[in-house]
Amino acid sequence: MPSVPLIAIVEDDAALRDALADLIEVLGFAARAFDSSESFLAVHVPGLFNCLITDFNLLGESGVQLRRRLQVLDPSLPVIIMSGQADPLACAWALRDGAAAYLAKPVNAQVLLQRLNSALGRASRA
Amino acid sequence: MPGVQAAAAPLGAEPEPIGLEAGEYGRHSLISSLPVPLWDVDARAASRIFDQLRADGVTDLDDYLNERPDLVDLACEVVTVVGANRGAVELMGAAAPGVLLGPVRYLFAIARDTGRRVMLAHFAGHRNHVEQAKIRTFDGRVRDVLFLVTFPVRGEQLDTTLIMMIDNTAQLDAEARLRQVEADLSHAARLSTLGQMTAAIAHEIKQPLSAILTNAETSLRWLAKPDPNLAKIAQLVQRIADSAQRGADIIRRVQDMAGKRQPRHARLDLNDVIREALNFVRHDCEERSIRMQVDLAADLPSTVGERIQLQQVVVNLLVNSAQALAAMPPDEREIHVATFREGAESVGFAVRDTGPGIPAYDLERIFGGFFSTKEGGMGIGLTICQSIVAAHGGAITVLKAPGGGAEFRVALPSHSIVWAPP
Repeated sequence: MPSVPLIAIVEDDAALRDALADLIEVLGFAARAFDSSESFLAVHVPGLFNCLITDFNLLGESGVQLRRRLQVLDPSLPVIIMSGQADPLACAWALRDGAAAYLAKPVNAQVLLQRLNSALGRASRA
Repeated sequence: MPGVQAAAAPLGAEPEPIGLEAGEYGRHSLISSLPVPLWDVDARAASRIFDQLRADGVTDLDDYLNERPDLVDLACEVVTVVGANRGAVELMGAAAPGVLLGPVRYLFAIARDTGRRVMLAHFAGHRNHVEQAKIRTFDGRVRDVLFLVTFPVRGEQLDTTLIMMIDNTAQLDAEARLRQVEADLSHAARLSTLGQMTAAIAHEIKQPLSAILTNAETSLRWLAKPDPNLAKIAQLVQRIADSAQRGADIIRRVQDMAGKRQPRHARLDLNDVIREALNFVRHDCEERSIRMQVDLAADLPSTVGERIQLQQVVVNLLVNSAQALAAMPPDEREIHVATFREGAESVGFAVRDTGPGIPAYDLERIFGGFFSTKEGGMGIGLTICQSIVAAHGGAITVLKAPGGGAEFRVALPSHSIVWAPP
């Protein structure tokens, strides 16, 4: 029986963090939420998480910078970036940088599910 | 007396001055020509009433008048005008001078409370009573006047009480218009600041909205399952309500800032004002990698003021500091906000930044209007801050912060100082 994918969420807004965690769970995955890149990195070991969903603007470190660090530490971890700003340029950079997806807030559950499945499918093929 | 007769001769087409009790030679002409409108009033009947009340044991006329308000009307009937000068006739727009004689009731047609306070002053044995009042003239106009009464004391002619009035309608008008202009300018500045923050506000509102949408979608997915987790759904719906409230709070804060309203003064906790102001700029500061350090004094005495206006001052200073820090490298951007007590009578707050500071030659000019070093800056922000702080009975100063940067300090009177807003 395949294990349930564990999704890490990094989001500094508490209400949004809880909402995303509950959504991920009703979508059929397991979720673990962090309020900052630092608290995520303190826990992260390669292979622990199947996907990371992170906010673009974070206290301490931008989502894209985190992605770059992970490229060194855990290159096969797919990263989905969420952003409150509708910035097509940032979106293009994030995707070129290797992000699995760039989603605008408010996040649509169906779209998130599709991107998650795609990211997890890609990871399992890699 | 022949001298008095000569002085009473009318001058051309001007209204005939009414004969005043001419106690001394020449006094009649002098008083009738006084540029201040003057009434000679015989208030002995009121004095007799007061003596009777005192004999009956009344010590607090104010209390007594609460039970017997008709006494004010009685006094206005029995106290009479026995003379009035040219200025009084003109002020009252009287067709004929004689109209001014008789019961003083007409003087208090609009300002009945003034009549009551004059009685209280008379009863208390005061020498003078002065207050701002409104007068209706005989030709139907309403004027604002400074109403001055001088009472005789024992040893003087007790039948002469003098009332003078100085028409200050034009001044009060001009002051009201100036206050309106200041309020409009203040409002314009708030709108301008809000406009600059639009992106930050939109982002701030998006957070609770995103949480609401996500929680709603999660709830629907649970409901679509064969075995819905009702406890979880209840939790999600509660979170939706909480986020909606948060969104409403953000909107209310913006509306307060944008609103054009009559200032309402209330007792305030300066720490709360600072916290609310920080909400406006928090996101912007995070975007700009500005570290915010906040030190709010415990046990801070409250002050009296208009919450939105003081918020406007704090936000303005924070925005200025944030903009000044754009010139600094990202790890040197810091704003320090503190509240403090200053002696027994003042409270204050300070906003300090680690920016390039304000050159000495500009320090004096920054509060003057239309001074700005920012491209496109209107330069009225600090002027308005100063005007708001002054209207609160406080003072704003700018200093060079230790280590460079600028520090703005605002001191306000604490509520224990009895201070009445204008």
